[in-house]
Amino acid sequence: MELYEKSAFELSEMLKAKECSAAEITESVLGRIGKTEASVEAYVTVCEESAREQAKKVDEMIAEGKELHPLAGIPIGIKDNISTKGILTTCSSKMLYNYVPPFNATVMNKVNSAEMVVTGKLNMDEFAMGSSTETSYFKKTKNPHDLTRIPGGSSGGSAAAVASGEAIVALGSDTGGSIRQPSAYCGVVGLKPTYGSVSRFGLVAFASSLDQIGPIGRTVKDVAMVQSLICGHDKMDATSKDIAYPDYAANLKNDVKGLKIGIPDEYFGEGIDAEVKDAVMETVKLLEKNGAEVRKISLPSTAYALNSYYILSSAEASSNLARFDGVRYGYRTENYDSLIDMYEKTRSEGFGDEVKRRIMLGTFVLSSGFYDAYYKKAKLMQKKISAEFSEAFADVDVIATPTVPSGAFKIGENMGDPLKMYATDICTVTINIAGLPAISVPCGKTANGMPIGMQLIGGHFREQTLLDAANAYESIVGGFGNIPKIV
Amino acid sequence: MDYEIVVGLEVHAELNTRSKIYCDCKNAFGLEVNTQVCPICMGMPGTLPTLNEKVVEYAIKMGHALGCTINNVCKQDRKNYFYPDLPKAYQISQAEVPLCQNGKLEVMLDDGTVKTIGVTRIHIEEDAGKLLHDDSFSGSLVDLNRCGVPLIEIVSEPDMRSSAEAKAYLETIKSILQYINISDCKMQEGSIRCDVNVSVRPKGSDKFGTRCEMKNVNSFSAAVRGIEYEAKRQIEILENGGTVTQETRRWDDVKGMSISMRSKEDAQDYRYFPEPDLLTIVVDEKKVAELKDSLPELPNAKLKRYVQTMGLSRVDASLIVESLDRAALMDACVAIGKGSPKSIAKWILADISKYMNDTGKSILDTPLTAARLCDLVAEIEKGTISNSAGKTVFEAIIAEDKEVADIIAEKGLSQNSDTSALEAIAKEVLAANEKSINDYKNGKTNALGYLVGQCMKASKGKANPGLMKEIVTRLVNE
Amino acid sequence: MNIDIKHIAKLSRLRIEDDKIEKFEKDMQSIVNMVEQLPDIDDTLTLDVNNAMKLREDVEVTDKYTREQLMKNAPQVQAGCLVVPKIVD
Repeated sequence: MELYEKSAFELSEMLKAKECSAAEITESVLGRIGKTEASVEAYVTVCEESAREQAKKVDEMIAEGKELHPLAGIPIGIKDNISTKGILTTCSSKMLYNYVPPFNATVMNKVNSAEMVVTGKLNMDEFAMGSSTETSYFKKTKNPHDLTRIPGGSSGGSAAAVASGEAIVALGSDTGGSIRQPSAYCGVVGLKPTYGSVSRFGLVAFASSLDQIGPIGRTVKDVAMVQSLICGHDKMDATSKDIAYPDYAANLKNDVKGLKIGIPDEYFGEGIDAEVKDAVMETVKLLEKNGAEVRKISLPSTAYALNSYYILSSAEASSNLARFDGVRYGYRTENYDSLIDMYEKTRSEGFGDEVKRRIMLGTFVLSSGFYDAYYKKAKLMQKKISAEFSEAFADVDVIATPTVPSGAFKIGENMGDPLKMYATDICTVTINIAGLPAISVPCGKTANGMPIGMQLIGGHFREQTLLDAANAYESIVGGFGNIPKIV
Repeated sequence: MDYEIVVGLEVHAELNTRSKIYCDCKNAFGLEVNTQVCPICMGMPGTLPTLNEKVVEYAIKMGHALGCTINNVCKQDRKNYFYPDLPKAYQISQAEVPLCQNGKLEVMLDDGTVKTIGVTRIHIEEDAGKLLHDDSFSGSLVDLNRCGVPLIEIVSEPDMRSSAEAKAYLETIKSILQYINISDCKMQEGSIRCDVNVSVRPKGSDKFGTRCEMKNVNSFSAAVRGIEYEAKRQIEILENGGTVTQETRRWDDVKGMSISMRSKEDAQDYRYFPEPDLLTIVVDEKKVAELKDSLPELPNAKLKRYVQTMGLSRVDASLIVESLDRAALMDACVAIGKGSPKSIAKWILADISKYMNDTGKSILDTPLTAARLCDLVAEIEKGTISNSAGKTVFEAIIAEDKEVADIIAEKGLSQNSDTSALEAIAKEVLAANEKSINDYKNGKTNALGYLVGQCMKASKGKANPGLMKEIVTRLVNE
Repeated sequence: MNIDIKHIAKLSRLRIEDDKIEKFEKDMQSIVNMVEQLPDIDDTLTLDVNNAMKLREDVEVTDKYTREQLMKNAPQVQAGCLVVPKIVD
């Protein structure tokens, strides 16, 4: 078994036992990138040199006998919308093709202070808008399980890198499912933390009230380790919650005895493939057999989640993306004859069609005379959806649903039809609207061999409950399988 | 037809906090371009605002000063528009729920009458950067130092009926900002700016006319000129049978005219929505009350007190009130209760102000305490010393840091006000000057002056001149 | 709801090529038709007192960045300033 195939936890133990060096781990991952990146295309930027330097530094620290963070020396890939000082941060957009932030996102300060090894910046849908990573200006990332299929999105590069062994763990961001959906498609574990638990400072905003950074890994334990590292109050982010956060990884349990699992009918209805429903229900039964209690619950407003989501996220996006005007950073059009001309050309040439659609939708719903009909209604629906979840969590500990309605689709299959693309978020957007944590874990495969994901949703700041349940499930099934062969 | 002018004002005041409103950059004016900036106020991708607590406190203080209701639970909203001086392409402001609302302000006009102007709201927001134009260069230059400087916007009701009322309102607002020390109020640095809404209507009408908003009004005198110009322009339109169109106009103070910027149809669509990067602002009610208690007596109340209860003239009262130092000295003297307020005011506005102007010193930095000023005024009023001796005492206080009584004694400045003693001197002098008495009696009135002068001389200058004149006049007419 | 794509594009400072207008209009229309399907809810939005933010202490920090660091990404800089097309206002 190659080092790149191992989990962060295993590698951490090996480093501690001096069974391998950080340099060897980094070389193994860089070697894997060298071998498979041409096919997978997960990275926008690979940081070979700085990764090697960092690994060397960790080895020196180990040699000096320094006390190190469990994640020291572990390679991590970073979604390209997380600001990295001195490293290109493009959001996979032509608009930021040359943008190098002069500062680090708060999560990067944490990653760096833990002495992790940053392997590079991962591809994504442009400005995180999309469900397939096909809207990236630079490249189309492939699903490691089938290179003709999409890896999901928007954190498609993050999920594909972890699934293919091009990274041990990765950071993604999730606004409507962007961590969980690609994790499900790529057969890895992805956690969307509670809104306010991970600082958004330095995350290039798509929809500020919904965005959250979270970890992707091949095991639940790895995800717990990274989440323990990145969570916490940050005074630079006014929306970050100032509470005590547990060490999820240290506390991780693996039994589900007495765990109350809610099954909402609304997530198993029309539009969800039968094989997906079956796979999720079988997993639930397995958990029941191991001591969990299963009960039916109802979340009646689920049907309106997608509508509210597209109104709220697009409204915020239209404002958040207005700053890209070619004045202070990024792309500027070459020929212009006035300020307005420069603005319009820069933005029209710098943004792709999907981003333009969302900006225009957001501008429309906020424009004079329409605010009450769209934005306000969506906000009221958000309130209702949140209330329904609160009610549900009075009776259950977690809620189990499919993560996505089907397995990964073919590249290009949904590009012509935005609504069909948006529908792949149907099971995940609700969770962002309610600000809840949710994890996607692999739970079988479709008939054509593509991974299926189960989503476990928890109450606010109940990440431990989710990780414990997911960890128990992982031990019951004996792990989530090997890294696919990539040909 | 007679017309009435209707004016409403939106005043923007920069707050003198140490740091900016949403980041910890220094809040300072006049430093080298683009050196007081950071990724946050430059609107770099991924940055987030954090609200400065002092901005909220200062705005609440102003709210209290203007008698507003304080919305201690409120939020911020984004106002979206594209302009190179606005890095995020939205201004974080307050739309739906301002921090303060429904206030009123009493202002005293030049003739001493008091007028109440409604204050619609006060909200907090961020300032934008600056565009620099240089004819030698084909583009415009952007300096972002001012981005994120905290502002309060004070919106009045359309309650003013003349440019003079508007001026009084603006001066009162400025004076309050200075009194509660939340703004530097440096007009030349643009720390107070205003937008002026003007409409006209036939006198007696209770319906408002169509208003025009005038931007770029950078001084109070410009506001006066702008209002007068705009009212005249609108009246001319109406007199010629036209209609005023609702629009935004730009005041050009050099040319003395306003120019149309955009019509109502082209009005910007700011697409306000709640700022998602900030949560609810909740200020503890106890804190709100504390801020109210922390306010000093406000200048408009002080002005009213000086004029209405102390009998000062409107002009003298406002000259004292407009300076915190002068007002502090005045109030300290009045509290001691020695010497008439009118005389104290005269001293403050004449000799003391002259001394301060000449030396550039503050009254607080001199040995002239309120107690000494009261003593000085009281001695003059009692007649112990003459007015001119008073000036000598004043100079000696400053120079020698001594008590009034000691100075009078040392310098022998006290004047004789003992009627019988003065009469004795006068009788002696008159007896030796019969010729002059006859001259006086024959109509040479200036002979009286000569006689009084001789008496003063005989008293070695220590006689109370007023009293001496009285005595001499009585004696020669007997 | 019919949407005026040209007006919305102008408000968004975007320019949609003539040959793409139709496709954008169609897509936007279907998206708007989708999001419109929200029921009226008899409720009001209130400010959440329990979700208050902590305010920042008023302390200034100087010399965090050099001007060069902050302007390095700018497409055009002159005399320490960002450059934009001449504004006639």
